[in-house]
Amino acid sequence: MDFQRVARLSDLPDPGRTVVEIDDRLVVLLRVAGEVFAIDDVCTHDGGPLGEGELEDHTIACPRHGAKFDIRTGAALTMPATRPTQAHDVKVEGDDIWVRVRD
Amino acid sequence: MTEMTLASGFTSDAFAAFLAARQEPLWLTELRRAAWEAFEKMELPSRREEEWMRTDIRLFKLDRFGLPGETLPGLTAPPALLTEGVDLAGRTASLNSRPGGFSSEGVPPGVLFGNLEEMVAEHGDLLRPHLFQIVNPQADKFAALHAACWSGGVLVYVPRGVRVEKPFHMLSGLAGGGVDLSHALIVLEEGAEATVLAETAGDDQPSLHCGAIEIVVGAGAKLRYVNLQNWGSGTWHFAHQRAVVERDGALQWTIGALGGRLAKVNQHVALVGDGADTQVNGVMFTEGKQHLSYHTLQHHQAAHCRSDLLYKGALQDHSQLVWRGMIKVDPGAQKTNGYQRNDNLILTETARADSIPGLEIEADDVICTHGATAGRVDDQQIFYARCRGLTRNEAVRMIVAGFFQQVFDRITIESVREALGHAIGRRIREYD
Repeated sequence: MDFQRVARLSDLPDPGRTVVEIDDRLVVLLRVAGEVFAIDDVCTHDGGPLGEGELEDHTIACPRHGAKFDIRTGAALTMPATRPTQAHDVKVEGDDIWVRVRD
Repeated sequence: MTEMTLASGFTSDAFAAFLAARQEPLWLTELRRAAWEAFEKMELPSRREEEWMRTDIRLFKLDRFGLPGETLPGLTAPPALLTEGVDLAGRTASLNSRPGGFSSEGVPPGVLFGNLEEMVAEHGDLLRPHLFQIVNPQADKFAALHAACWSGGVLVYVPRGVRVEKPFHMLSGLAGGGVDLSHALIVLEEGAEATVLAETAGDDQPSLHCGAIEIVVGAGAKLRYVNLQNWGSGTWHFAHQRAVVERDGALQWTIGALGGRLAKVNQHVALVGDGADTQVNGVMFTEGKQHLSYHTLQHHQAAHCRSDLLYKGALQDHSQLVWRGMIKVDPGAQKTNGYQRNDNLILTETARADSIPGLEIEADDVICTHGATAGRVDDQQIFYARCRGLTRNEAVRMIVAGFFQQVFDRITIESVREALGHAIGRRIREYD
């Protein structure tokens, strides 16, 4: 899978997040402290929409039950989630955000 | 690949043109208009609603589809699975909501069987008490879209006391990115008996089925109904299905769910007369990124009724199954015997099954039981089988077959057991 251009950096505040569609999947782009990260818009606890959650430093909390994930790695940090959500590769070139989806 | 069906979009102009081209009883036109108004007002369901929490349809784009147009030549319906070796009373086939084959040699006199659109033009008064009286045409945006724009579909109407030995068969096909808005209406009058086999099939293009099934089992009537959802991997499937069973009526309803990209189905049974009996069987097998979501309701509205639901699902790859079941017992529905069970066998770690059984009981002399299990293939069973000389792969197949046997034992139609067994056997991956 190749990198795909999915959004413009100037459209994404810091800190901020947006949900984009890439190859029939929903991915949250997150911008924190000058860096951009991409994880699946899926809480591994019950499939909740992570992208609507509260962002704090490098963690995002699922709006349904509060499970926290590391936006850099997708790692599940707190209950009730026990499994990581998928993280994807990101690169920024100029104003373009590129993502390579990992399966 | 270019889209081969001419889609006009679900616009008010397209709907007006669709209505103008039809010659239907006034009551039906009015029903369609009311549903269209509801459709225009309603939003697509959101994940904030309990029923849609686990089913993400943000990737579904309604505006990519439209009212079924003229199907271009060259498209053919995929083959049926359930009719192997079966002597049928009659059969219908459709492709992208358009009629595509019909025969009725074995249909006894007095029984109405055929294209619902044509039947409603001829027998409007007979069908009016049933059509869109069983399912709610405005339950959600999909239900409203279906009620406004349905076309094609099938009617099986068995009059009082008539027993039809041979099964009816109906096949709905989707090809070339088409849309299927077909409606099924099955009515058995008092003491009638029938067997109906319905199935779907399709190619892997993005396509839409937005449908409804309405079933009336009259007093003392007996219906065996099989509904196999076997769309291709690109199909979005939204359906409201509901049966009403009257006094001492018996319904055996078997659902097979193998296909589709995403399915959201409401399967409801209402036991409205004393002594009504219903058995619901579900066989699900999912793979790839399929997401199938089934919402069942066993609604006991009368006394001395029995309902027995067993759904069994096996999942592989990244697929997901959701089952949310409810037994609802109204005040006065005493001596209810209600049972619901859902078992899931998870073949790969990345698959996911959600089982949510529920009871809502307002009578005080009932037996209601529910249960759900989810588990992986047991390593000890694999070990045992391998000690006996089987490969791991053979062992997994045997365990999957054994898992489904319990529900196959309940399905009384041999061709259905065989078709489901073979279809599942073909899908199981090599787990070496």
